Amino acid sequence: MKKLIALMVLVLALAWAQDKPKVGFIYVGPVGDAGWTYAHDLGRQKLEQELGVETLYIESVPEADVESFIDQLVDEGASIIFTTSFGYGDGTIAAAERYPDVLFGHATGYMRAPNVMTYIAEMYQSYYINGLIAGALSESNKLGYIAAFPIPEVKRHIDAFAIGAKEVNPDAIVEVRWLFNWFDPAGAKEATEALIAEGADAFIFTEDTPTVIQTAAEKGYPSFSHYASMYDFSPDTVASGQLTDWGTIYIDFVKGVMDGTYTNENLEDLDYIWRYTEGASIAGAKPGMPINPVYEDALKAKMVNDPVLGEISVYDLVMKRIEQMTAGEFEPFTGPIVDRKGNVVYAEGEVATLGELMGLEWAADNVVGDWDNEP
Amino acid sequence: MSFLGYRLEPRAKPPGYVVFLYSFAAVLIALIITGFIFIAFGLNPFSAYATVIQKTLLSWRGFSQVLLKTVPLLLTGVGLVLAFRAQFWNIGAEGQILAGAAAAAGVALFMPLPPFLGIPAMFLAGFIAGGIWGFLPALLKVRLGVNEIITTLMMNYIMLYIVRWLINGPWKGKNVRGFSESDKFDASFVLPLFKGTRLNWPTLLIALLFVLFIFFLLARMKLGFEIRMMGESPEAAHYAGVNFLTTTILLVLLSAGAAGLAGVGEVAGIHKKLLEPTSISQGFGYTAIIVALLARGNPLATLATALLLGWVFASGDVMKVSLRLPDQMSGVINGLLLLCIIGIEPLLRYRIVRVNGAKLGEREASSGT
Amino acid sequence: MELDLILNTIARALAFSTPLLWAALGEIYAERSGVVNLGVEGMMVMGAVVGFMVGQATGIPYLALLVAALVGALMGLAHAFFSITLNANQFVSGLALTIFGLGLSGLLGRSYVGQPLQVPMKSVTVPFLSDIPLLGQALFTDQKLLTYAGLIVALLLYFVLNYTRWGMTLRSVGESPRAADTAGIPVNRVRYIAVAFGGLLAGVAGAYLSLAYRPSWGEGMTNGMGWIALALTIFALWDPLRAIGASFLFGAFFYLSFTKLQTVIAPELLTMMPYIMTIVALTVIALGQGKRAFGAPEALGLPYHRGER
Repeated sequence: MKKLIALMVLVLALAWAQDKPKVGFIYVGPVGDAGWTYAHDLGRQKLEQELGVETLYIESVPEADVESFIDQLVDEGASIIFTTSFGYGDGTIAAAERYPDVLFGHATGYMRAPNVMTYIAEMYQSYYINGLIAGALSESNKLGYIAAFPIPEVKRHIDAFAIGAKEVNPDAIVEVRWLFNWFDPAGAKEATEALIAEGADAFIFTEDTPTVIQTAAEKGYPSFSHYASMYDFSPDTVASGQLTDWGTIYIDFVKGVMDGTYTNENLEDLDYIWRYTEGASIAGAKPGMPINPVYEDALKAKMVNDPVLGEISVYDLVMKRIEQMTAGEFEPFTGPIVDRKGNVVYAEGEVATLGELMGLEWAADNVVGDWDNEP
Repeated sequence: MSFLGYRLEPRAKPPGYVVFLYSFAAVLIALIITGFIFIAFGLNPFSAYATVIQKTLLSWRGFSQVLLKTVPLLLTGVGLVLAFRAQFWNIGAEGQILAGAAAAAGVALFMPLPPFLGIPAMFLAGFIAGGIWGFLPALLKVRLGVNEIITTLMMNYIMLYIVRWLINGPWKGKNVRGFSESDKFDASFVLPLFKGTRLNWPTLLIALLFVLFIFFLLARMKLGFEIRMMGESPEAAHYAGVNFLTTTILLVLLSAGAAGLAGVGEVAGIHKKLLEPTSISQGFGYTAIIVALLARGNPLATLATALLLGWVFASGDVMKVSLRLPDQMSGVINGLLLLCIIGIEPLLRYRIVRVNGAKLGEREASSGT
Repeated sequence: MELDLILNTIARALAFSTPLLWAALGEIYAERSGVVNLGVEGMMVMGAVVGFMVGQATGIPYLALLVAALVGALMGLAHAFFSITLNANQFVSGLALTIFGLGLSGLLGRSYVGQPLQVPMKSVTVPFLSDIPLLGQALFTDQKLLTYAGLIVALLLYFVLNYTRWGMTLRSVGESPRAADTAGIPVNRVRYIAVAFGGLLAGVAGAYLSLAYRPSWGEGMTNGMGWIALALTIFALWDPLRAIGASFLFGAFFYLSFTKLQTVIAPELLTMMPYIMTIVALTVIALGQGKRAFGAPEALGLPYHRGER
């Protein structure tokens, strides 16, 4: 009898251990990049802590090699694999076909399969918040945006930023410079310098290093963290930023796999687009600091007139919007919105759907600069 | 100058087996040093090597991964052997690879061809495009004496920006959600793979044939003889009536064309689209320089040297996953490997002989300044 | 507004080209002695990582600069050892140095990625001079000391090379090692010194990146600048003064591709310009003056052995 119980315990323990999947991550950059990959790795660590699953990760994987690295992760026993770059799409789909029992998550992608879901911690709401702050802080009314590629994701972020800036400062314009690269510190540096020379005095960016923050800080101009906290790079000038918490998505999905909600057959329609409401993407110079105290007074002093909220300081407006978006009660992309060619994109009161935002191509009417594929 | 009764004696040209043995020893030394790096990372070097070997050489899938990196290195490397034999220092293979890749993409995206012609047309276009990219530096060198190291290096950057411009501008795909890459190639422009791997056989076959061709060219054909003469003794070549212009241009067309073929293999076999140039070629054009130099001018030797460097590439990947070693290890090992191999150079140029009174005197008399 | 663009372009071109200039000056001296060192990228990147590490540990950027320079020199010595003493192929030895340097720097710098440098090199605005209309804005506002130092070093090196005994010694070793040897000049020792000096300046160039230009460490942060410096060496026809203009040109085009011009010309085409111009310039010079116009050291890339031939 005793033996039987011992055996049962053993079997249960084994089954329980089996239930805990091994989770693999494929990163496009080094984990210490202070940007994109770092943010994903924080998410991985959170997943490990909260669910106690074993994780594996591989850094700096060239896009073309993703398949062979998936092979190796599977060899190492991974049964859930997250590929964290758009460029991994083809390789992920191909590998998913070869490993029908393994579950895949492809970040920022759109191609899916029965065992491949897509996910993104979507930041446009934070960009909108940052637009409010930058618009209020700028004295020249010229905001600089150093952007990676003219793709819908980045365009949506530029527009959200521009809409926020305009809300508190009708004269604010957003000057865009393209790097055509996710990682180009030298380009980011010179683009920032060029914008400074042209009179911009607040800076936001889509690039994988804190270069823009460092460059703007030399002149004392405010800038914004990107992906993860870059507060340490300039505690006196990082006003806020867009922070992602990929851990929320990783935990939710892996939990779903462990309790059987998600299987290798039902991921075809699963697309996480998580925002403020889910806590996947929030505004802040660093976690817990939505507005850098350095700029608190300036933002409290700047008053605007909101049609609904009445006379309100920008500081209070920012806090209010954060509250509203966390509760899912406010959308930055709410009409009336006219693009810079004069087309009415959204009529009074009309709210953009997620689908529309994911394929956004138009430029807000206070955006200046080259704009590929403008409708 | 003797030490413990031995001295170094210069020799003109070491026999092949000596070069092979010494090179082999150099590789071993590099691997032993790497073993100490493993220890520094808290790994048992023997089991670490066992893992690497098991995952790169003893499994077909692992080995196909080695070959995947070897093929572009082989094609490009053997092309460079040809150029280096003529003392044409082609540093521009990276650009020539990209030129081939871009040409193949152009064919795949814009040429309505019957399916069976798609792949041959791509290889032809890639060969020509690579060759054209090497043509200008060749012309400038022979006609005007412009240093080819610099022009070929410049051409790399120019092609890199051309490809970037293509994928951000005119060739940007319609179905790529705004990302900077071309549309996917149609199936008839995608190279067939060995089953269960990502390795395509047409490029592998072409690479092997090309190696044989260059071998025969250098060993047996008139053009090969002229190329060798041009490299080894330009004055003699002048007297012999070698036309430097045509010979140089022909050899560069072959050399750069080979790199172009490698580029075709990368886009049509792996990526199936034109994309960011640093993703198309992971520095194969530069690594191939090492492949060629290690082969010491022998086209057949590139089979070994390309395989060696392909193995280092693939081993780096295995180390990253299975041994949890940092990404930078393969660079360090590559560098060590190279330094060890060139470190044995004096041993190739000299041999150690036991001091023999009479002989010593003779030698010193003949080599006096 | 257009004037502003020009002035800012001058200012930024100076800042961006500083590491190019330092590295190119070093390579010019190495090549003038007859030794090609393709390891510039590797020496620079090692200078960058070591500079950052020392800077972070001590908080004294100029001490960090010194150590970075020494590391560069040490790598230069390694190249000299392999290519001169061991008689190895110069191209392979240099390439090995680059590959090794890129790998090792990544390994050394792993724990420093994503850290801001505590005490970066400050920008300086030269008093009085910066008040000069136009020129003050273009040349004397918000530059790093190393930018000015680079220009001064270029002048000095030009002078030393052309008007001193040392310079003559260096040139003779690069032009005709046999004659130099006969005249009692220790050819290989001069070459050792020149190559190590080249490494020293490459180390400074790398440290500029991690201590001043972008005060942080990122893997491979030299991003091909070493190769550009090699190109500049030839573009400048092995002349320290011309190196100023050549590196400036690269800087100017790079900066311009991120200005308002983006809307007019595709940035890739602008960035490509210096490379095209290098080829065109070499061609034009060659067309004008024939083969011997380049001033390339006669014995460039050739090892020298006493008693051969």
